[in-house]
Amino acid sequence: MTVNGEFNHDMRRVPTGEFMTPSRKTNGVGVQAEDTKICVVMVGLPARGKSLIAQKVVRYLHWLSIKAKTFNVGQYRRTNTPNPSADFFDTSNSEGERLRRAAAEAAVNDMCKWFAEGQGLIAILDATNSTKKRRRWIQERCDAEGIETLFVESKCDDEDIIMSNILEVKTTSPDYVGQDPESAAQDFRNRIRNYERVYQTIDEDEFDLTYVKLIDVGKHVIINQIQDYLQSRVVYYLMNLHIRPRSIWLSRHGESQYNLNGKIGGDAELSERGEMYARALPGLVKQSVGDSRKLTVWTSTLRRTIATARFLEFEKLEWKALDELDSGVCDGLTYAEIEERYPDDFKQRDEDKYNYRYLGGESYRDVVIRLEPIIMELERSENILIVTHQAILRCIYAYFMNVPQERSPWMEVPLHTLIKLTPKAYSTQEERLKADIPAVSTFREKGSSAKHQEAA
Amino acid sequence: MDTLLTADVAANSPRFRRRSSTFEDAIHDLPLRESMAPAQLYSTESGRLFHSGRIVIATVGLPARGKTHISVAVARYLRWLGVKTHVFHLGDYRRATVGPGKDVPDDYFFINASPSSVLLRNKILKKCREDIYHFLEHENGQIAIYDAVNAISAGRRSLAKEFAKHNIQTLFIESQCNDERIIEENVRSVKISSPDYAGWSDEDAIKDYLARISSRIPHFETMEEPELHWIKLINAGERVVVNNCAFGYLSQRIVFYLLNLHIKSRRTYFARAGTTKEENAYKADASLSPEGVDYAKKMSDTLIRHREYERQAIIDQGGPDNALKPLTVWTSTRRRTVETSNYLASLGYRVRQRSQMSQMNPGVCEKMSEHRIRLEYPEEVAKHEADPYHHRYPRAESYHDLAVRLEPIILELEREQNDLLIIAHESVLRVLYGYLMACNATDIPKLEFPRDEILEIIPASYNNEAKRIHIPDLPNNMIPGSPQDLQIPVPPSGTTSPLGSLGSPNTTGASTPATGYQTPQPLLIRKTHVDPSS
Repeated sequence: MTVNGEFNHDMRRVPTGEFMTPSRKTNGVGVQAEDTKICVVMVGLPARGKSLIAQKVVRYLHWLSIKAKTFNVGQYRRTNTPNPSADFFDTSNSEGERLRRAAAEAAVNDMCKWFAEGQGLIAILDATNSTKKRRRWIQERCDAEGIETLFVESKCDDEDIIMSNILEVKTTSPDYVGQDPESAAQDFRNRIRNYERVYQTIDEDEFDLTYVKLIDVGKHVIINQIQDYLQSRVVYYLMNLHIRPRSIWLSRHGESQYNLNGKIGGDAELSERGEMYARALPGLVKQSVGDSRKLTVWTSTLRRTIATARFLEFEKLEWKALDELDSGVCDGLTYAEIEERYPDDFKQRDEDKYNYRYLGGESYRDVVIRLEPIIMELERSENILIVTHQAILRCIYAYFMNVPQERSPWMEVPLHTLIKLTPKAYSTQEERLKADIPAVSTFREKGSSAKHQEAA
Repeated sequence: MDTLLTADVAANSPRFRRRSSTFEDAIHDLPLRESMAPAQLYSTESGRLFHSGRIVIATVGLPARGKTHISVAVARYLRWLGVKTHVFHLGDYRRATVGPGKDVPDDYFFINASPSSVLLRNKILKKCREDIYHFLEHENGQIAIYDAVNAISAGRRSLAKEFAKHNIQTLFIESQCNDERIIEENVRSVKISSPDYAGWSDEDAIKDYLARISSRIPHFETMEEPELHWIKLINAGERVVVNNCAFGYLSQRIVFYLLNLHIKSRRTYFARAGTTKEENAYKADASLSPEGVDYAKKMSDTLIRHREYERQAIIDQGGPDNALKPLTVWTSTRRRTVETSNYLASLGYRVRQRSQMSQMNPGVCEKMSEHRIRLEYPEEVAKHEADPYHHRYPRAESYHDLAVRLEPIILELEREQNDLLIIAHESVLRVLYGYLMACNATDIPKLEFPRDEILEIIPASYNNEAKRIHIPDLPNNMIPGSPQDLQIPVPPSGTTSPLGSLGSPNTTGASTPATGYQTPQPLLIRKTHVDPSS
């Protein structure tokens, strides 16, 4: 992109990694990238939710287009010792000690290599890292490579939380594949006991480290020596996480007049069938919720979502950030009209739908940036029902279900369907409930400009 | 004995309602009419963001620990987010009660104070608390910041209990310092400027001030109470301890903000980008014209001269030789701003590009004359004039959109320790200025940043101050806003001259139908110029 003053399609593309690294592609003036590299080092006994935190942080960062990766020391160790017994983790077992140390070194080496190759900004070192000596070694190693360290300790003495984590682990951990769950749980408890003997919590001796210590799932938090904005952002995210059980319900608005005509965008009223969906929604929600839990309803500020939610007897909140993707000059056009008037654009959008920004409008990437406060708020909240629009739903869904950027803009999210998402420790469960009210399909396959596609 | 004397001005006016103008920091004003705040995402009928109730934030800490600075900074951020917030400085009430020039009795802060001191103390506290209740219960206030010492644990517990009776949650923010240098620095920059210490050497004044604190407030208990909600900042944010704060959206948000806040004083300068070869094309991302390059040099030279002049002034007043902090430059990723910084970069100043700082997207109005916009979008123009802050032209961004997009920049702005020059488009400068000076959202689109001025914002713990620095010898045609500004926001009809029509005093009030509160005079105040060349 060298032309000035003349329109060039590249100009509309938002470069990748935009969030914290102003990309070199935005202009020809040689942008200095912010070269912050952060290694998030997990600290804590087994069954304290370290892997859960690591997994969530990576998912959140990916969603924001910040390249992040987890390096799980357990996985390195498993290549040599696939199903170790608790004895392996006894510190007096020198062979076990040696192998565990080797696994940590291999993980750190790979991580440094990953950074050196410019692959990402944030790595997460998922291991117990339970001694001061081990932590100092990691910090010095990272320091030498110009990588910042952020230690995240999860400390928890609440027996209920630990037990539920143990139950989760014994059923999902690769260490216990094919073993009797009862004896697995027993062995796991012994393993924890071995760690407890040498475990040192982060304390005053480590005053110079950058760390966050989460005690009893965020009830008490100590944050030390935060160095930059990105670190503060990760800490903010961690503080918003909770583990209380809850679900999130997602629905598109009822079918609109624009949907009927195959037009995109706009601020149209509901169609007759859309109106029927609005009336059916309270029953549908009741069926899906199952009990008398109180939900909070979030809508966009556009008529069709407000009208769809209006019969729900819960507290309601209108968010500007939940408004549909702004399709710029194409607002109010059908896909066929877009193809006719802006043939190049139409093609461009198909090639990279996530990054394509409508002429004067938004891209999916832009939408994700404006949805970030919504996600933070969702992490913090309990039971929420969101009534919003196709593109917005795709982005929120992608966050919870970890859908990659190449796929998320192409996901089919049918009208008149209630989606229930229930986050669990290692994945999110999904249920779909269809209202028995017909609607047009607004899904458009790559390359197609058909007004309505037959639902598959 | 604490906070700046300027606080007296506020304290003596009833209920702290001052009229502000846009070149004054309005952080201590209560907005006279309800309007959306700069970065507010939604609104409710009660005016409160309903997923978090009413909260009193009470500060805890000895004098000279930056409590007032933290109170004001948190209020600034919360208001920006649309949370109706007001700061109640107990010191203001103390001064207003004992009268000008007088001080409270020596045993005022003692646990075993004399009955007369206790009575005085209770009288002052009562007045302040009444105002807090009034604000939260009758003025739709959501957060009251109670800026006081709150030194004793038992007192804090009963404070929280009392507020709880009114269904108000209490969140304590303690500022603790065990680094003597931070305390001394704070005393130097905030406390000893008072007339009490005229003629004293800095060192003696600091010593005297600290001795007065320890003799007058001999008892202080740091926060340990497990059942209370508190945030403890140790050594200006070096460490932050958060206890029992997962109860609300706002408390987490405040922690996030505090993680980026520091209490060191530094300056912020705003400058426009130079003119380009393709002045009115948003999408073109054009390079600077030769005049633009010339502007960049003159602007930079003016700034460097001005900073040298200020440094000398501080040294003349007996300040330290290293009075100025290093200067960092932020630009957007648009060519014109980056190229405007090139001259400074060649002199060795550090330049950072920030993608969020690109200008407001003008949408369909790009390259259109005002006349044509009026002709083609009469309805949009009418909507725009009714609410220039929130209105979007078709496919354009509103100022509100821009403010939400700039939030990470606001936090990084707080984090930055060096002096900072921001070179950006006028729309971005308006929004950032609106944050730093607590402008009303409705005033933000009218702020004016002519190209022949650099704006300097000098922070102080009680309020920020803005100053304009004139850039001499610029060609006249460069000084008015860029052509884009002449189109968006559209000036009120009937204004014939396109130049200077924006933001200039609008006597008819045509552009702000919500009357009753007019910005008296926008920023173009020549007499506030500092001309470093003179």
